[in-house]
Amino acid sequence: MTSIGDKPLRVDDLLQRNVWDVDHRPHITVDTEKCRLCEAKPCITTCPAGCYILAGNKVVFSYEGCLECGACRLICPYNAVKWSYPLSGKGVQYRFS
Amino acid sequence: MQGLNRRFEVIVVGAGPAGLSAAYILAKKGFHVVLLERGRGVGSKQVFGGRVYSSLLERVFGSLGDAPIHRWVRRERLSIINGERMLTVEYISGGKYSFTTYLGQLASWMAGKAVEAGAIIVDEVRVDRILVEDNSVVGVESGGDTLKADVVVDAEGANRLLLEELGLVEKPRPSDMALGVKEVIKLGEEKIDERFGLRSGEGAAWILAGSVSAYTPGGGFIYTNKDSVSIGVVVSLESGGLVEEPYRLVESMRLNPLLKDIWREGDIIEYSAHLVPERSVRLIPSKLALNNFLVVGDAAGLLLNTGYTIRGVDYAAYSGYLAANAIVEAEEKYGSYSEEVLRRLYEERLKRSMVFRDIARHKAVEMIWENPTMIKQYAALLLDTLGGLYELGESTPSLRETFKNARRKNKVSLIRVMADLVHGVMKA
Repeated sequence: MTSIGDKPLRVDDLLQRNVWDVDHRPHITVDTEKCRLCEAKPCITTCPAGCYILAGNKVVFSYEGCLECGACRLICPYNAVKWSYPLSGKGVQYRFS
Repeated sequence: MQGLNRRFEVIVVGAGPAGLSAAYILAKKGFHVVLLERGRGVGSKQVFGGRVYSSLLERVFGSLGDAPIHRWVRRERLSIINGERMLTVEYISGGKYSFTTYLGQLASWMAGKAVEAGAIIVDEVRVDRILVEDNSVVGVESGGDTLKADVVVDAEGANRLLLEELGLVEKPRPSDMALGVKEVIKLGEEKIDERFGLRSGEGAAWILAGSVSAYTPGGGFIYTNKDSVSIGVVVSLESGGLVEEPYRLVESMRLNPLLKDIWREGDIIEYSAHLVPERSVRLIPSKLALNNFLVVGDAAGLLLNTGYTIRGVDYAAYSGYLAANAIVEAEEKYGSYSEEVLRRLYEERLKRSMVFRDIARHKAVEMIWENPTMIKQYAALLLDTLGGLYELGESTPSLRETFKNARRKNKVSLIRVMADLVHGVMKA
């Protein structure tokens, strides 16, 4: 067993602790055209998996590390998030939660 | 859903505690029940804080003798943290009221009971739509396939995509929901016993407020499992987004100097997130039944956060139990699952139950606890007062003096304190 240490882990390090069966079909899509109008971009700080990142002034979304919580769907002020669950049992496979 | 050619009387959507309880009771009463679950196997999508109250669960499942109970909660702790200082109240309970577990394991145990009773569980099926014909629910749709039944139980959970599509509820406002993020840290059974002062099989439940969750509304939690510790934060979603990324919050809790030695040498084995229906009163649908249709569990908004404890799993199970019994009685007495019959047999009984009355009663407490400025101010006031009493130099000030100094320092008037106190006690 490795010790986790005294430094905060990055979100990617946390996500790597989980078991995944990532689907090739995205279960969430984001209309990033709408994001250009959005000043606040609350998705960036709200997503617990860091799926929304800011590249310059653009929102870049990736579904692969999604924890399927649904927070982005509620927080998006422009309804830019088309949200569903993965098909065929894919996505995160929780074991200890 | 190909191959499901058999005719089912009941379709249950979602294999969480609510759906599994409904399926178990219905199967036991001889109903042909199919439970559709989107995840792989039962439990792979289940997330909760860490503790389950046992009383209502026993009402549904009888003995919990073979349930995957990790530890019975004996030590209840409530802490306020302000920087490097912490005030903790600990209550050591004499009885067995709640236990810790992994929700996935508990769901698998419930699924075993349901299958044994005759329920059929089909996994890897994501229900896309509730089918309605002539103002009545007739079944569900998944991936273009349809499956029909006499009655459908919606146990889809906190994200109510089906109910929204059906038009029974609106998309919740962000502030009605909270986001919980959690790390499970494997530590070993003996270390947990030692560091929490527990005997074998005993557990601790710990709620933390203050700087540990960056004073955002909500707070921190710690639960001891058998050989791991679950730690996390629950923060209210505000429309502007969270001030700090949730993973930073939980990581700063893990590394908090007052806490970090508890899980020293531990290893994070899972990181999870889940929405919490926080403002239940606003989230409970205007109707909990339609023609041939019932709503249970998180989907029905049945969760209670009092500030000192969070209750949801047993409420979910109990609502599933009431829904199943309503279906049985509707069939026997009325031969009908009309909205009128189901609302009378399920919704009215649920609303008369302690579960529902408690949720309505505690809403004011939630509001006080969630007020971030209040938490911040009172955390400082309380800890400055205690600091004044315990951190002595040459003089030994009285309680009255230290309290007065603390009030001055934090700019809280005596009248404010008294008003808040009266307000809090009256609403509690």
